[in-house]
Amino acid sequence: MDFFARQEEARQRSRRLVILFALAVAGVVASIYFAVRLLLVPSLGTAGAGLFHPPLFTVTATITLLVIGAGSLSKSAELARGGAVIARSLGGRPVQPNSSEPRERRLLNVVEEMALAAGIPVPGVYLLEDEPGINAFAAGLTPDDAVVAVTRGALDELSRDELQGVIGHEFSHILNGDMRLNVRLAGLLYGLLVIGLAGYWILRIFGGGRLPGSRRNQRGSVPLLLLFGVALYVIGYVGVFFGRLIQAAVSRQREYLADSSAVQFTRNPLGLAGALRKIGALAAGSRLRTAAAEEASHFFFADGLERKLFRFLSTHPPLARRIARLDPAGAADLAVAAAATVPDRFPPGAPAGVVGLAGAPAARSVPAAAGRLAAANLARSTALLAALPPALPAAAREPLAAQALVLGLLLDRRPEVRERQLAALSGSLPEAVRGELARLETPLATLPAHARLPLVSLALPALRRLSPAQYDQFSQLGERLIAADEQIDLFEYALQRLLARHLAPTFGKRPPAPAPPVALADTRSEIILLLSALAWCGGAAGAPAAFAAGAAELRFLREAALLSREACGLAAVDRALDRLAGLPPSARRTLLTAAAATIFADREITVAESELLRAIADALDCPLPPLAA
Amino acid sequence: MALIVTIAILVLLAAWIAGIYNRLVGLRNRFKNAFAQIDVQLKRRYDLIPNLVESVKGYMKFERETLEAVIEARNQARTAASRAAADPADGEAIQGLASAEAALSGSLGRLFALAESYPDLKANQNMLQLQEELTSTENKVAFARQAYNDAVMRYNTGREVFPAVLFAGMFGFAPARLLELESPAVERQAPQVSFT
Repeated sequence: MDFFARQEEARQRSRRLVILFALAVAGVVASIYFAVRLLLVPSLGTAGAGLFHPPLFTVTATITLLVIGAGSLSKSAELARGGAVIARSLGGRPVQPNSSEPRERRLLNVVEEMALAAGIPVPGVYLLEDEPGINAFAAGLTPDDAVVAVTRGALDELSRDELQGVIGHEFSHILNGDMRLNVRLAGLLYGLLVIGLAGYWILRIFGGGRLPGSRRNQRGSVPLLLLFGVALYVIGYVGVFFGRLIQAAVSRQREYLADSSAVQFTRNPLGLAGALRKIGALAAGSRLRTAAAEEASHFFFADGLERKLFRFLSTHPPLARRIARLDPAGAADLAVAAAATVPDRFPPGAPAGVVGLAGAPAARSVPAAAGRLAAANLARSTALLAALPPALPAAAREPLAAQALVLGLLLDRRPEVRERQLAALSGSLPEAVRGELARLETPLATLPAHARLPLVSLALPALRRLSPAQYDQFSQLGERLIAADEQIDLFEYALQRLLARHLAPTFGKRPPAPAPPVALADTRSEIILLLSALAWCGGAAGAPAAFAAGAAELRFLREAALLSREACGLAAVDRALDRLAGLPPSARRTLLTAAAATIFADREITVAESELLRAIADALDCPLPPLAA
Repeated sequence: MALIVTIAILVLLAAWIAGIYNRLVGLRNRFKNAFAQIDVQLKRRYDLIPNLVESVKGYMKFERETLEAVIEARNQARTAASRAAADPADGEAIQGLASAEAALSGSLGRLFALAESYPDLKANQNMLQLQEELTSTENKVAFARQAYNDAVMRYNTGREVFPAVLFAGMFGFAPARLLELESPAVERQAPQVSFT
């Protein structure tokens, strides 16, 4: 199953869930109607209309649905504000990207390596300082606003391998689309909870803290009202109970999937198994202290709550069973940290397609590699980071220096163009940025071209720490640099798109509206344009052959001809990408396959090709690991 | 029926107030986070200063008082910074940090001014590197301070605008303080002194 299939599956699953929840809501509505009918307006019963009274039902159902809807929407809206909000509500504090505390540094490095390998922007990292148990979670609606959080216990107790396994598990939640599912679940659950809370408030307000029976019977309404409150309370919580049941069943499945993806990624089942085993051995286990844990239990790496009696409400499979799947030999005793043979369920070798990416080019492997956690990618991104001049990743982690770094990447290597660019900035370039720019000049000169975009994505967390005013200044400087050489090259284009997509929403700039859905067959001219542009990127000589190779992947492109080079300007490509962003997942895979076939036609990948492919994948929301250069 | 409508209205009203509350919490978290970035840079600066003093010690034997003053100011600033980091919403702690930082910048400025008269020191490679790193760190402090002050302003504005101002006091959202270094002249002076 590749990225697209998993996304599709997550969507279907979430549709099925909505149906199950709709049933639960219908049950709640019916129950409330009967409560109202019997307790609040019993007089209607004598009218001979029987139990069912349509106008009353309409009114009750409308109000109930409104309350559930308002509760769900407000909770969803709160959760949709990004993973950072969730992390904070659970007591997390952000780990500064430039932290020098050794354990925090190690965590940040593990996260950075994995984000680069998965091809998603480096997520924010949070630490739950007051939690001695070992646990972690990923939250956020999309990879863009995702955050990864670990507890103090996980930071202190786990080895690097184990931490890597845990973070790999969380990353696969991000890539499998589980977070959107989680947010939807949490929103719906909250709507049902509101009904129960309403009952609680009725009891509080009208019960006045006394027992319902002790109050003087005022025209008989107060005891009935209180009874109604009790009914609402019970109905709400029964609804929540069924909601939790659904949630737990889905969540347990996704946990196994995330475990196996994490192992595919790190190629080390023992790391993850070791982490699970430490949870079993630790007195604090994976339990969380915060009161908010109940609501968010399904976000976590391991069960945050202790449920000895209500196993079926657990959002996670039992530790022993998870370990047994990872490490059959060592599962018997939770506390034994014995190394064991690698189970053949997780072949230690990277999947064939990914090897193809690193060695012999194979076009079909590109869509397979999208959004996939693969060991070869992790190794490659670790190597990429290690090969950089150390000043550059360090700069990428400081807000001020990261700004200078991105501006420095935009400076042309030709001295005369560079002069012109710097002249365009003169006066508006703050002294401090100029100083950093000068410090980075030498390391930047030796930077290989294919490392430029990964470096930018490494800088995203630090750039998110700018204040809105600083961000405006920064983006103006960048625009002026790009404009100064009077032509936009592919790198500048890819960079601009990357920043606009992953950074602008942080600063309250409206993210581009989602593209209207289109069918693959309706985008013929856009696809021809895109494949032509990719074909020209590989060099003029091979362009016709490259285009033919790409077009062969799509039946309706049989008679298509390569567009002239002039027709493939970046402005046209930009428009095409905006439209193609509306394609459904399966069509995206087809498109990505065709794009990859175009690139691999001449059996080598140029930097221009990989940058354009990255821009395409980014527009299509497919996290793409760095390609071998 | 009227009762159910009343309850529905109450729920919506509560949701609205909760929205205001959440917004204020969001703004407050943002400036607290922004302070963490200042804190990272200040810590680096406090770590650099003992190295600096160590490497000038051999040259500036007769300036013991100046060196001690620098170390003393550095220790005080470090205490003030950890107090401010514990709760950046505490205006007094921020004020304390501002004056401690001003004192530190002043004593560092004096140290660099004196160092001008030691030619050997001016040529020392180690010294040059430290000086460069210190300048860069001060730039980063200034930059992070700007981001922090922006966030504080947004928070203060956010709690003073109309519907929020009704609840801000009730929920305990006190106005936050800008981090302004008391004598900007001193702040500007430190990076200016050079050994070349």
